[in-house]
Parts: sequence; C-alpha cells; structure tokens
Amino acid sequence: MEMKVIDHATCTFCGCVCDDIQLHADETRIHQAKKACVLGKAWFLNHTAERKYPDALIDGKEATVDEAIEAASEYLYQADMPLVYGMSNTTCEAQRQCVALADNLGALLDSHTSL
Amino acid sequence: MVLVDIRETKSVKAADIFLQVRPGKDFELITILRAMIKDQPISETQIAETGLTMEQLQDFVSRMKAARFGVMFFGMGLSMTRGKHMNSAALLTLAAEMNAFTKFVAMPMRGHGNVTGADVIMRSQTGYPFGISFNRGYPRYNPGEFSTVDVLVRGDTDCAFIIGADPGATMPQPAIDHLARIPTIVLDPHVTHTSRLSRVHITTAPAGISAPGTAYRMDEIPLPLHPALESPYPSDEEVVRRINETLMKKPDWMGERPQILQTQI
Ligand code: SF4
Repeated sequence: MEMKVIDHATCTFCGCVCDDIQLHADETRIHQAKKACVLGKAWFLNHTAERKYPDALIDGKEATVDEAIEAASEYLYQADMPLVYGMSNTTCEAQRQCVALADNLGALLDSHTSL
Repeated sequence: MVLVDIRETKSVKAADIFLQVRPGKDFELITILRAMIKDQPISETQIAETGLTMEQLQDFVSRMKAARFGVMFFGMGLSMTRGKHMNSAALLTLAAEMNAFTKFVAMPMRGHGNVTGADVIMRSQTGYPFGISFNRGYPRYNPGEFSTVDVLVRGDTDCAFIIGADPGATMPQPAIDHLARIPTIVLDPHVTHTSRLSRVHITTAPAGISAPGTAYRMDEIPLPLHPALESPYPSDEEVVRRINETLMKKPDWMGERPQILQTQI
C-alpha cells in the first residue's frame, strides 16, 4: 500500500496546536505521527477513515444526514430559547457558521471558555 | 518559573519555586499581590490566610518586577473554584497593573483543541468572546447569566445545539439532566455521552484529521490544518451551513429576520 507523507501537519488535540508534525498515512489510517507528543500520537493514530458510526441518529435510531438536518432545524426553530454550545474541537470556519446560527435563532452562544 | 497550586502536582518538578496556596484563597492571594506591588500595607494575618508567608510573597513580587517579560498562565483551577470568573478578572487586573513596572501578560491555558479559535471568532463577529445572548436581536454578554453551565442548571434553555464538545461527560449532573430533558442536537466525530442523551446526532469528519480548516493556537496564532485522511462523513462546517440554509427557508417568528451580522458571513 502506498504511504502518503504529510509534512507540517497540525495537531488540534490540545491548545498548543503543534504545526510541525509529520504524518505517514495510507488510505484508511495514520501509521506514524512524528514529532507529536504522547497525546498527539494517540489522537492521530486513533482515527481512521472507516465508517465506524452511523451517519446520523434520531432518537437513537439510524437516520440519513438529510433527515437529521431537517429534524435538527425543526427543533431549533421551535425552541424559544435555544443554546449553541461547544465549538472547541472544530474549525474556525465551522465556528463562523455557529455564530450565524445563534444570530439567526436569537440564541445563546457559548464555548468551553466559560467553564 | 513560579508555580502556584493547592497541591504538589507533577509540574512542581519543572518549577523553580512552588507556592502552595490554601484551597479557595486564590482571590485573596491575587488581591494581596496587587496591593504589594504598589507597596500598600498588608498584615501578616491577611497573608497567613492564604497559607503563604510574607517572605515568600515579597520574594515573588520582586521577581515579577525584575522580569523583563512575564507571562501568567492560568487554568480551570482558578476559574472554576470559589470566586470563579472574579478570580480570572483579578488575575487579569494584576497582569495589567504589573505593566506599570515591566511587560506582563496573562494567558489562559487551553485544554481543548480550538477553544482559542472560538474566542477569536466570537470576538470578531459579536464583540464578545463567550457567554453571549442574541435573544434581543443583538449580542449581549454576561457570564454567569448566559454561560452554559448556569443556563442548563437553571433550566433556562429549551433546545441545545452541541458541536465539538461533550458536556454529557464533563458538566455537573443537574446540567446533564436538563440536556436529557430538552431536545439536544449533537455534531461530533464520535457517538459521545452527550449523543446518547440527545434527540439528534450527526457524525462529522474530525477536524485536522479529515476535515480541513483553520485552528488557533493558545497564543492566538491561526494555523492551517492539513488533513491526512478522507472521511465518509461531512465536515462540521458543511452540516451547520446546511442547517442555516434550512432555517432560512422557514418563515421568521418576528416577521423579519433579526440577524444583524449579515455582512460577516
Ligand atoms: S502534539 Fe501534543 S502538545 Fe502538540 S498540539 Fe498535539 S497534543 Fe498538544
């Protein structure tokens, strides 16, 4: 199997966000994470490209992403005081969408920082 | 390096000086330091309350003043114990006041990946870093009132959208109970504790492993992500964008969309 080498990969497991990691990966998993610390190594090596979980769950039952997006939107739309929370283990691009979501809904918006 | 903690942690080995403060006395200690850097009188009994001695603190203050560039790192031990955000506020004031003598900054220690990014994005788009409410159609900021733990414990919210976090594993039990009571929606690469008590869970691609984007380092330097794998799941960004699009199609309850930040997205 062919190994892909990615220099200067970025680890987002902790706040240090090391950006000098060298990853050796094939199609499905990362085999080596050079220069990462113990935590970072475990983080990189534990993820695979396999389908480990169902695409979506509604009331604990498997559903498609489309159905789940529809259900989520309806719950948020019906709520009087929705809350948008978290945004830590995600990208800035997704965070911007979350701010727009809270703004649209007239919602509460908060992150881990408040802990 | 000076380490202040209530017990001897593993970091003590790396520290030059260890100051063991009495639990719950952080605010008192910081206030005493603020007085001492300005040479205001402090009594031995006030210092004894913190579990430290006058000599230790005098030495600490002279070291701070002698530094050319000091950094105070602080974590949840300060912000989540007695005093909460008043402790953080006191420390930030101390750092600001130290600038009368030398360069000093205070920086929160971050556990989770891109919390700093969340701060920066919310700050740039709403003017506030966290604990925001849009319920009047414009952003308002009030930690303690709009911060999640308080909102959940009081039961103020009737729907929760959780992304890149697992409050079901970390928050106090009354908050978790409320999440289970209301419709909760979770976006996460894994089926988490919170997913198990949610009505809707959507699996997304893990950021940095198979989703591209940007993450902020603790000192607010933005860094690009270089994902190594393809994912069968959509990214967080895509899912939230699609939810936004779906919501935009519904008639607005106020007759007119209250969104005021249109130009920024
Ligand atoms: S490699 Fe280690 S120190 Fe660096 S960001 Fe990842 S977990 Fe943090």
